[in-house]
Amino acid sequence: MYRLVGFTGTPALILKLLLVGIVDFVGGFAIVSALDVGSTIIAGVLLVILLFINWVYLFKSPTPFKFLAPGIVFLLVFVLVPIVYTVAMSGFNFRTGNEISKEQAIEQIQIVSLSEDAEGTAFDMAIGKDATGDYALLLKNQINGEVLLATLQGVTVLAEGTYEVDELGIPSSTEGFTRLTNKELNQLGDEIVNLRFPYIDESFVSPLFDGLAILLTQDLIYNPDNDTFVSKSTGAVYADNGNGNYANTQKKKDVLYPGWRNVNFPQNFTGLMFDPELRGPFIRVLIWTVAFAFLSVLTTFSLGLALAIAMDKPIRGRRIYRSILILPYAIPGFLSLLIWRGMFNQDFGIINRILVDIGLIETNIAWFEQAWTARLMIILVNLWLGFPYMYLISSGALQAIPSDLKEAAAIDGASSFQSFRMITLPLLLQILFPLLIASFAFNFNNFNMIYLLTGGGPRDELAGERAGATDILISYAYNTAISNPADQNFGLASAISLFMFIIVGILSLWSLRRTKALEEF
Amino acid sequence: MSSLRANLWRHALAWVLIAFTFFPIYVVVVSSIDITGSLATNSFLPPAIGWDNYTLLFTNEDIPFTTWVKNSLILASASAVGSVLIGAAAAFAFSRLRFKGRRVGIQTLLLIQVFPSFLALAAIYVIMGEIYKVFPAFGLGSVGGLLLIYLGGAMGVNAWLLKGFIDSIPLELDESARIDGATPSQVYWLIFFPLAAPVLAVVGLLSFIGTFNEFVLASLFLTDIESRTVAVGLQQFVGNQFAQNWGPFTAGSIIASVPLVIIFLSLQKYIVGGLTAGSVKG
Repeated sequence: MYRLVGFTGTPALILKLLLVGIVDFVGGFAIVSALDVGSTIIAGVLLVILLFINWVYLFKSPTPFKFLAPGIVFLLVFVLVPIVYTVAMSGFNFRTGNEISKEQAIEQIQIVSLSEDAEGTAFDMAIGKDATGDYALLLKNQINGEVLLATLQGVTVLAEGTYEVDELGIPSSTEGFTRLTNKELNQLGDEIVNLRFPYIDESFVSPLFDGLAILLTQDLIYNPDNDTFVSKSTGAVYADNGNGNYANTQKKKDVLYPGWRNVNFPQNFTGLMFDPELRGPFIRVLIWTVAFAFLSVLTTFSLGLALAIAMDKPIRGRRIYRSILILPYAIPGFLSLLIWRGMFNQDFGIINRILVDIGLIETNIAWFEQAWTARLMIILVNLWLGFPYMYLISSGALQAIPSDLKEAAAIDGASSFQSFRMITLPLLLQILFPLLIASFAFNFNNFNMIYLLTGGGPRDELAGERAGATDILISYAYNTAISNPADQNFGLASAISLFMFIIVGILSLWSLRRTKALEEF
Repeated sequence: MSSLRANLWRHALAWVLIAFTFFPIYVVVVSSIDITGSLATNSFLPPAIGWDNYTLLFTNEDIPFTTWVKNSLILASASAVGSVLIGAAAAFAFSRLRFKGRRVGIQTLLLIQVFPSFLALAAIYVIMGEIYKVFPAFGLGSVGGLLLIYLGGAMGVNAWLLKGFIDSIPLELDESARIDGATPSQVYWLIFFPLAAPVLAVVGLLSFIGTFNEFVLASLFLTDIESRTVAVGLQQFVGNQFAQNWGPFTAGSIIASVPLVIIFLSLQKYIVGGLTAGSVKG
């Protein structure tokens, strides 16, 4: 009947080796470049993936792995890792200003606390090397004309006559100093500007660029022994405050920036529940999220079911009705949402215009600027987008209900409404239960609906509000983590996301268990 | 006549909903040919009709509409092909191979797929930002990175969808091949794949539509005007309250949605079948 040709023997083996070889080559290259920029985590993950792929396809691994490996890799890296990472981030103070590691933060604070000395001392500079081959600078103070030799060990003042100057008047040579040639200067990398040539009083000379150096002093001195910073100018002591920052031991609010990512579990969660500044918006958003998801299902299902019942008889034109009425489901959702947004526009939107024309309102409604009109609008637009789906699934379910049940009810003298309420509806709800729960979960996370229609607004931006009147949890998390690059709070956003995971997870588990989907295999 | 009267409420409801359905569609069509470029039509037809909005999309250099369409097509095709390959292989394993951990595997998949990847968008943002530092082509801001994220969700959704179809392919076919000495990969590529090709095409098209319509992650990733998809590009047209380019926007919407609507309507049977497959078992 059929013959098994191809994909056997040598050609198949060569093809397999070729494919794995390409993956190994690209992957190996990627690991090297990851190590190059010092990203050991990415390199490690890549290595594990590569080993896994090689084991699966080149060694005697169980057959199912050969089919599941690609999916598993993508699922683990791009679905499971973000979920786990979300859980981890929610336990951290991880936000703008607290994004780096503690070591990096200490380094940054020291750099940030550098300041030029009060006089603004600057030097003409020649770059060279000292007798030991380390970099050294020959400097001429631009203010008082003093000439100095700066090495990494310290500075020495040179007396008149112990050095020579070039045609520009810059000191160019002295004993134990070899000036770099132009060629060497050109090859000079960035390392020179990071060098510190100690000067008096913990200040140091810092080369700026060819020919110029300035005097910098460090105000905050780090003491690794007791992990504190001390300010030279004020004498204040800054200690680790346990929340990712060095804070003034006398004045808790006076903290040094940048801070670092610091474990602060469970502060992101307790903040959402007890901190009045966060709790108010969070509870409001949570209530609206649930209300929105519930009302979405209720309105779209009611309308869809009514339509399905109306179309349950072979009336004339049913096929055409059906094709037209599922259009909102077929049109790309993001386009529909943007169009509705334009139609609701206060000034030029067609909806206000029609309402004024038919005399229902006197002046244009500012749909987007009041909480309740914005919410009403969302429910209405969602109804347009969602009823065709509910119509499709309801009419499918209606056909699955045995008609003899209804006939029996009719014989027993039930009115058609009674038969609907007592027989059809309960059966229908039972059949559609998992889909209604899925629809609830979908709307619970319906980011597009909110983001594209109202952007979560109205919100008082001047008061710094992050949560708008129509924000749902997912858009609130987005506002918190991403939308404002100057103020991103990943830790808090992850805590909000965890609430979504839990709610969606419970709903799905409930639905899966009820339908026994998990026990089917 | 009497049947029409008895069914009057059915027709009435249908017509009311048709009016509701057509309302925005009508507005879009009219706006796209209204050369004044507004979304406010006073009369039934705009005073000045023309194709200016359409030609603008292809001639105005500030609006790289064709690039967006190209990006969307590439992204959606790549994601469709990748998803189908990943999903089909996984579905085959779960449907045809008997192995330890299969049950647990399916259950885990079923549970994970209820969390769409954008739920973890803060984490994705941070992780892809890190990846960007190493591989700019696959990090935040890149089409490649976006594709990887889309493929991450491929196994859960598609394997699930495909398993139902595969279960309906008669088991005898591959069993007799096994008896003839075929290895599982031969059964997969030579018997299963050709048999399932029509179904795979449908699933591929569904995935294509899904990616084409995806907005959340695309807008997070594709900030560069040249790398945007249609969804992100068109949103930028009108998303900003000071950028109300409704004329070209509506024209672009029609161009972008007509092919998708046609695909959707022709796949209607499968889509509805897929929708209710999980439920009717009750």
